Amino acid sequence: MSRISDMLPRHFGPYGGRYVPEMLVPALEELEQGYLKYKDDPEFTAELTDLYQNYCGRPTPLYFAENLTRELGGCKIYLKLEGLAHTGAHKINNALGQALLAKRLGKTKVIAETGAGQHGLASATVAARFGLECKVFMGEVDVRRQYPNVYAMKLLGAEVIPVTDGTKTLKDAVNATLKYWIQNLKDTHYILGSALGPFPYPVMVRDFQSVIGREARTQILEREGRLPNHLVACVGGGSNSIGLFHPFLQDAGIRFHGAEAGGRGPAVGDNAARFGGKPKVGIAQGYKSYFLQDESGQLQDTHSVSAGLDYAGVGPELAWLHDQSVIEFAPITDVQALDAFKRLTRLEGIIPALESSHAVARAIELAPTLPKDEIMIVNISGRGDKDIFITAMELDRENWIAFLENEVRHGK
Amino acid sequence: MENNIDRALANKAGIQLMTHVVAGYPDLDVNADLIRLMASRGVKLIEIQIPFTDPLADGPTIMRANQAALDQGVTPRHCFELCAALSKELPDVAFMFMTYANIPFALGLETFMAKASQSGASGLILPDLSWDESDGDYAGAAREHGLHPIMVISPDTGGPRLDAILSRASGLLYTTLKVGITGAGAGIDQAGVEYVRNLKKKTALPIAAGFGISSPDHVRMLDGLADVAVIGSHIINLMDAQGLGAVDEFLAACART
Ligand SMILES: Cc1ncc(COP(=O)(O)O)c(C=O)c1O
Repeated sequence: MSRISDMLPRHFGPYGGRYVPEMLVPALEELEQGYLKYKDDPEFTAELTDLYQNYCGRPTPLYFAENLTRELGGCKIYLKLEGLAHTGAHKINNALGQALLAKRLGKTKVIAETGAGQHGLASATVAARFGLECKVFMGEVDVRRQYPNVYAMKLLGAEVIPVTDGTKTLKDAVNATLKYWIQNLKDTHYILGSALGPFPYPVMVRDFQSVIGREARTQILEREGRLPNHLVACVGGGSNSIGLFHPFLQDAGIRFHGAEAGGRGPAVGDNAARFGGKPKVGIAQGYKSYFLQDESGQLQDTHSVSAGLDYAGVGPELAWLHDQSVIEFAPITDVQALDAFKRLTRLEGIIPALESSHAVARAIELAPTLPKDEIMIVNISGRGDKDIFITAMELDRENWIAFLENEVRHGK
Repeated sequence: MENNIDRALANKAGIQLMTHVVAGYPDLDVNADLIRLMASRGVKLIEIQIPFTDPLADGPTIMRANQAALDQGVTPRHCFELCAALSKELPDVAFMFMTYANIPFALGLETFMAKASQSGASGLILPDLSWDESDGDYAGAAREHGLHPIMVISPDTGGPRLDAILSRASGLLYTTLKVGITGAGAGIDQAGVEYVRNLKKKTALPIAAGFGISSPDHVRMLDGLADVAVIGSHIINLMDAQGLGAVDEFLAACART
């Protein structure tokens, strides 16, 4: 094996790796070499930093949630507002990094998978910005429930390809994208949207997302003169959580909390809580980690009100941090998430994404039990605009339907 | 080690066919009929795919078949039983299990190999269990169970990776004729022919070539070049559209080449 491979972590404990058909290996090796070459290249990092600041709107604010803190009556709660980044979620951090890399590698086309549509939107956006042709694969179910993002992607010039295989959600979109990639390796880069998949994706995506944690660290030190006691983030594939957590992993005394999709409850197929119940290790989608699966090894159906958390696997680094008891995972039900969605909106004037509402719900569970002098940072990975068709149906059903009917009947 | 794969390839006259069956699609009884039909047309190498929810290397046809089989409740146990019954009935046919890493991993790789071997299989094809992952280097253990570890490569596999794979493979080497997924494209181009010709020079292993083979002409093109032509998606498509009779005719036409 090339010496260069030893320089990026291919495994996190027993997890991660590269479990792909042989024909994908050359593309992954090219990506690995490319990432290694550019990740610390001053020109590359300067360009990325400039884009982060002037295109993306970074640093995103670290906001002291005074009202939420007062209402919960426990620790001090800060919110890292990734929803204020361009396109409305943390996904843009990674998409920009990968698009820049794709350019350096001479690729003219990009492809991406998407669940909630935020990563597809981010990919379509950077593709427009860099003049790359873009195709986004999205499960048919997600196309339906996240249509505002589908519309936006098309507006940006991307082709949205509905995936009708399997569960018709994120996991099947990943498969479809990998397969398309196998057939179009020469000119196409796959912008994978979370810290998972075959090496080098988990490490590369984590690195691009670590800007969240680096900023949060600087900001909290400026504001409070000390590090936080608690970090909370939602975990779909795990990119916003590892991005927040990673720059703090070497620090003593910090507790890391991951909120998973508890969905309708603990029954099989009703949630996407990989660490709820009996976590089971498996190999799928190019990596080894925990997957929701049956005893034969078939991946299971998942459910979450938030498309971005509706995924059977979890990033390998998070799996390893789970095993070492570094991250404490907890399932948050749809009901809890919707309740947290309403509370944050009313208390702080911040409408969080449904994914992020899971993190808020976890904060709501934890904060009252924690001393007032402790500090918690909650990652608001995205804002809730994209979810309007879901939240309105859940929270304001009759009026919303009346509005939609009126639009259909009388809209021009 | 010698098993049915070696025997099938030892005294061959011309190119052999290797066919593919997704266990449980359309159902296990039809699988058995299909396998009998294949054997009656002289097919000596048959892959039984254990269905998986996320078959990464497969195209739309085989993917759909996997899902349909799973929807019917087919489990690895059914696949072992199918192989056990048919390998007893057809002692000359070399059966191979093809599936994805998570299936053997869920059972335990050693247990999986033991069960595969007990059910009369002669080989394993696990395209996403990469030999350079620690649990992917199962070739030696497979042989101890009497199973050839059949490695899948593509025209882009080169240099030290190819050498590493060749040093592990036995029984036969399975190569795609182009970089793609199963069922992709419709045929064999000159680049594919050149590629197999060059590969032949690098290894003494019998070479099975596949992906996209869908006519007796394709088989004819490979005759004298590769040792085995692999036919997967096309047979499923034929069976779906026209039934087993059409598969029979197709195999008969291939056998005449
Ligand atoms: C706003 C938002 N948060 C979180 C996620 C979950 O992804 P990850 O776990 O990789 O951060 C998504 C995914 O689409 C998202 O859109």
